[in-house]
Amino acid sequence: MASRITAAAHDDRPTFQEAAADLVNAPSTAASSTTTRWFLILGAFVVLGVVGFVLKIADHGMDDRRAWGYYVAMVSFLLTTAGGAPMLSIAPVLAKANWVRPVMRVSQLFSSIGVLTAIMSIPLIFLLPPLVEDEVRRRSIWFGSPAYFPHIWDTIAIFGLVFLGLALLWASSMPDLAAIRESGSGRRQQWARRLAPGFIGTSGQWKALRIRIGVLSAFYFLFLIFTHVLFASDYIHALVPGYKDAIFPMYHALTSLQAGTASVILASYFLWRYGGFNRYIGINQIWNLAKLQFALSLLWFYFFFSAFIVFWYSRTPQNEKVIELFDQGPHLWAFLGALFFCFIIPMWTLMWNFIRVSMRGPAIIAGVIIFGTLLDRIRLGVGAWATEGINDKFLQVVPETVWPDLWDIFMFLGMFAGAAFLFLLVTRLIPAVSLWEIQQSRLISKPAMYMRSEVEIVGKPD
Amino acid sequence: MAKTSILGLYEDPEDGAKAMDALHAANMDPNDFDVLTGTPYPEGAFGEHVPQHRLFRFPVFGAMVGFTLAIVFTAATQLAWPIVTGGKPILAVPAMLIITYELTMLSAVVMTVIGILFESRLPNFNPGAYDTRITEGLIGVVVSVEEGRESEIEAILNNAGAMETKRA
Repeated sequence: MASRITAAAHDDRPTFQEAAADLVNAPSTAASSTTTRWFLILGAFVVLGVVGFVLKIADHGMDDRRAWGYYVAMVSFLLTTAGGAPMLSIAPVLAKANWVRPVMRVSQLFSSIGVLTAIMSIPLIFLLPPLVEDEVRRRSIWFGSPAYFPHIWDTIAIFGLVFLGLALLWASSMPDLAAIRESGSGRRQQWARRLAPGFIGTSGQWKALRIRIGVLSAFYFLFLIFTHVLFASDYIHALVPGYKDAIFPMYHALTSLQAGTASVILASYFLWRYGGFNRYIGINQIWNLAKLQFALSLLWFYFFFSAFIVFWYSRTPQNEKVIELFDQGPHLWAFLGALFFCFIIPMWTLMWNFIRVSMRGPAIIAGVIIFGTLLDRIRLGVGAWATEGINDKFLQVVPETVWPDLWDIFMFLGMFAGAAFLFLLVTRLIPAVSLWEIQQSRLISKPAMYMRSEVEIVGKPD
Repeated sequence: MAKTSILGLYEDPEDGAKAMDALHAANMDPNDFDVLTGTPYPEGAFGEHVPQHRLFRFPVFGAMVGFTLAIVFTAATQLAWPIVTGGKPILAVPAMLIITYELTMLSAVVMTVIGILFESRLPNFNPGAYDTRITEGLIGVVVSVEEGRESEIEAILNNAGAMETKRA
């Protein structure tokens, strides 16, 4: 049967010159005075966070584990959201999805927030108890290793993941940096000269670019899951006496994909709405991301329930204490929040097509999921760090609810501000939408008519 | 013999492809000419010779080094301090897995980044003839020619529709 695809409808996509003017020549389409004001505000909150951290040490020292549960939750939250976001530039690309190109850079830019995760993970080295205390070895995934092995290897893993994320961002930005090197101006051009001095666009360089992005992406995925498994095991799992759950580390890793997708949706929405990128990011990207978000929200419940049902059915005193600690007792409020915001609300909203096919709907749900993830990490981090009797066979006493103090709130504000600060700072150098991805998409696709509807023809040469 | 780099600039990619065809027809060595673009065209779109890359060798080499280091490190420390834990053998594979995986991955990642620097020839101090307008969408065909053949090559590039040629 003959194809019914006919001549193109009008093509209103930006030309190469227009895209270059938008993405390369202007550091950001937002007015620079507004940007400066935002940097100052965010910087002030970062300082507030540092003050909170210092005063927390002054008030509680670093031996009172109970006082640092919220700090652990913050690092876990950053690792979950910013660490998971770059996966969005990996998984759809493996499936040769063309729609993802405008938001690929957005997801990679979250690697910059990894710098904050790495810095904030340093105090954890001093907070985590050693494997052996008073000649008693506690249970962990480290068997008979030296007492400070988790401190060393977990930190190396977090720093390794951050290095990998930044390498991926740098590698995929190189063609755009080369364009800024030639056509940009000021300090941005100087940085581009340093970061992409030799890229001139030979066929060999383009081939190497494709391969290096593929290799780094594969490594990122392998390293992300590994880092989550280590972090969840050492900073949460191993601190609760008698807590044995093979699914929990994977739950921690999987929720990272959900929260990472939510972060990319939210950032894409803001760039579309306020950043001046509405010619590049549109309904096609948000709609497809919302479908992924819907599937990942279902998986949240699947992983949670797989772990929960074993504990609930077993009815052993150890397992009942663990359920009480994380789901029923002192952190019931956080658990209910996580359940509603990470599963029930996303599922009952994103299942409707009219919500998915909108810019605002998925963005609001993404915000809800990020808040739910924060509550989930508070439930786990604060719960685990409030327990006592680390060498006991099982949890004897479920601790009381630990509420955040003023210094915790300062640190929360500083964390959010620091993340936003780093993201915005990197967008001053690297375009938030990739010029070469946009242009390649234009080269291999074109709008056309299929009978009376508009379609897009996409060639997939790779 | 000293070589000159000549660049032909084209507005239409089709003209760039014609220039590449003409260079092939003139029996130029495929390693002596290349196409420069500001965006990744599908491989072979200009009939260009795509050089073999060595990028996979770097992570593989890194992974092998990291794996070996990890095995030596974990085995040597366990043998130097032999403590039986939970009735398991001194050299227990599950106890060595985490460090082996982490060092293998880290070493592969570091070597991949070194590979990027090497493969991209960064910094490139002698890129040959180049024009900044390539980053604005023009197609460049760059040819490395022996002395005496410059005019012949420029004629080939111009006949294919070059808007401009330049030497370096």
